[in-house]
Amino acid sequence: MLPYGLVTIEDRVARLLTELPPNPQFPTQGATLFVDLARRQVRQAYTPRRIIETFLAGRGANMFYLYRLLDESLDPIDPSVPLIFGSGVLTGIVPSAARGNATSWSPESGVLMDSNAGDYFPSFLKMNGIDHLVIYGRADAWTVLWLGDGQVEFRDATPYLGLDNIDMRDRIATDLGGTWTRDLAMANITRAGENQVLTSAIMAGPKACYARGGPGAKMGSLKMKAIVVQGQTHDFETAQPYKQYNKEIATKLLNTSVVKNALRTMGTPFLYRPSRVLGAMGTKNNQETTWTDRLDAENITPYRPGMAGCFRCPVNCRPLNQLNDDQADRYGRGDGPEYVTLGKFGPNVGIDQVEPVIRLNNICNDLGLDTASTGSAIAWAMELYQRGIVSKSDTGGLELTWGDAELVERLLFAMSHREGFGNVLADSTRAIERGHYPTEARKYCMAVKGLMQSDPHDARILKAFALGLAVSTRGMDHLRNRVTLEINARINDDPGFKAKLYGGPVSAQPNNYETKERAVRVCENIYGVGDAVGMCRFTTKLFNSPSLPGLEEFSSQIANVTGLEFDADVLDRIGLNIMGVERLINHRLGVRRSDDTLPDRWFDEEITVGAYKTEKIDRQEFDAMLSRFYAISGLSDEGVPAEAWRQELELVLSGPA
Amino acid sequence: MSITVRLPTTLQTSGQDSLTITEPVENIAELVRVLRRQLPGFPAQWDDSMLNFSVNDEVVLHRAEERVLASGDVVEIILALSGGTPVPRSAC
Ligand code: SF4
Repeated sequence: MLPYGLVTIEDRVARLLTELPPNPQFPTQGATLFVDLARRQVRQAYTPRRIIETFLAGRGANMFYLYRLLDESLDPIDPSVPLIFGSGVLTGIVPSAARGNATSWSPESGVLMDSNAGDYFPSFLKMNGIDHLVIYGRADAWTVLWLGDGQVEFRDATPYLGLDNIDMRDRIATDLGGTWTRDLAMANITRAGENQVLTSAIMAGPKACYARGGPGAKMGSLKMKAIVVQGQTHDFETAQPYKQYNKEIATKLLNTSVVKNALRTMGTPFLYRPSRVLGAMGTKNNQETTWTDRLDAENITPYRPGMAGCFRCPVNCRPLNQLNDDQADRYGRGDGPEYVTLGKFGPNVGIDQVEPVIRLNNICNDLGLDTASTGSAIAWAMELYQRGIVSKSDTGGLELTWGDAELVERLLFAMSHREGFGNVLADSTRAIERGHYPTEARKYCMAVKGLMQSDPHDARILKAFALGLAVSTRGMDHLRNRVTLEINARINDDPGFKAKLYGGPVSAQPNNYETKERAVRVCENIYGVGDAVGMCRFTTKLFNSPSLPGLEEFSSQIANVTGLEFDADVLDRIGLNIMGVERLINHRLGVRRSDDTLPDRWFDEEITVGAYKTEKIDRQEFDAMLSRFYAISGLSDEGVPAEAWRQELELVLSGPA
Repeated sequence: MSITVRLPTTLQTSGQDSLTITEPVENIAELVRVLRRQLPGFPAQWDDSMLNFSVNDEVVLHRAEERVLASGDVVEIILALSGGTPVPRSAC
């Protein structure tokens, strides 16, 4: 390995390129393009076989590239810290495998940034022969990276500067003459990204985005406005026929009742009701845990003209919305909201009507803001105001009152422009470090490892959820390992079935600490593999259902598509390896055992409503559960791969001596 | 005996959002047996492990079938996650 801080990113890339094969290692493998924006240079290679065998592609191989190219002596927004896009092994090929990841060092959290998006961009990358894009260096002038016909062009982005998502998509389609979903896909930033707002996303469609950890700010730091992929969709030349098995997967997806009866008809907002009735709906920055039934999914139905979906996904789970017929109302229609947005812009900020939540959702999609971090940053500020920690003199005269939808709307625009108090909110969890808030504000920050909680579910009741949020490698996020089926009584009450799902007994009681580590471990592995093949989380086994495609189906279709044999056990190990390398990266960024924790509020304050009244997280029980999680995960007491495994991983990551 | 059962939209096939059970039922297991007979669509969704119950606004997340019911209780059927494979159960 080269010593960090002593060599440039160019040296690191040059050294890495000497180790990478110049040709594909299996049918359908796309290239890795190393794009130096400062020098306008592109070099190409392929991910080595040993990396595929250890981490697969997508999120997995992204970690290899970050591990090798990261210089932790820099700052996350230093242009020498690369931004890496990766599509999965099956992205664009298998139904519902429409996803890819964007990876870097997070400017928001200060730990690993790894964000997943769908829509069409990841599939179009793959179809254009690209599995990974490793982008570094700051462009001299704002740039659009154009990819198509095997070509890469650095185009002038000046005409697009200052455009948010709606206008950007209109202008690019007009200027380049393409049609979204047919021959054009894009990942772009908005003004928020240009202004390095820490909650800014890289948009991958009208709503889909690489959201978590400030990817928009990272892309903005490179002066890259957009990556456009142009070209017709096509089928892949695979190792063996794969379409028949695709049909089986699609049938399995569509026959799953949660898909049929909920996702395809209402989308994720159906999740609001179970959480709220349980008394686990994060309300007013988690000071309370239940909220009005006016935001139940049924009340969104009158505003839902239809559903949309990602590339070749039969599920079509994305609810569209229409608030009115006024074409002049820019935010009168759009895509969403998802459950996360409903929670973050409903109960979490005290809004109790559907219409303003939908409108705020549409605004966030246009402004390119991660609704999870953005809604949480606003809720945090509202609680600080409620407690007198922040006053009108800090907010520029604004009264941060719960439930004031007009205020929230103004704050979104102010954040995006970094104007007034918006500049404070734009610094998200870093507001204390940057001198905006006093240190006592930390007590009320609902974040882990510098990342605000992704979803609105208050995890004081379900201990497996709590553990997952604590150990997630990108910070407080449910999509990395949530044992969602803990919320299903029928599964809890069937010990044999539950043990089969998780490879061993898991306590039936949702609020019990015992054995929950096992379920989190299994979920983290399977979701890691899902990201490495490009499968959507909603349709991956154990996230929404025990019967959706999982390791067995991935194994069969990887074999058909690539000719590479990975049985379910090997894939499970790959999931573990992905977590392992992520923890090695985080360790280099200063993450320790004490960072695998939860917000103080969940240890100190009890739930006050519902069947689980008085529930909170017991510090000792939590610590013991964390130790058990480390033990079954092969981690040391500090939460990194134990010695023998670490050496094994480092050998693979470091490449030939 | 009168138990009000609130239905999710997926079970509102006859346009009603709730129904009243007047047969004597002691617990959720017995209620499930009645609903299997009286509520079209219920058996399939129940066998698909897609449904949870709450009793008087308190969700029951385990030992659900043992939950004792009394006249006047309001039981809500809530869409849970999951579904697709019948959970291999003996009861109900
Ligand atoms: S299930 Fe929904 S979010 Fe996932 S790929 Fe399909 S349409 Fe996209």
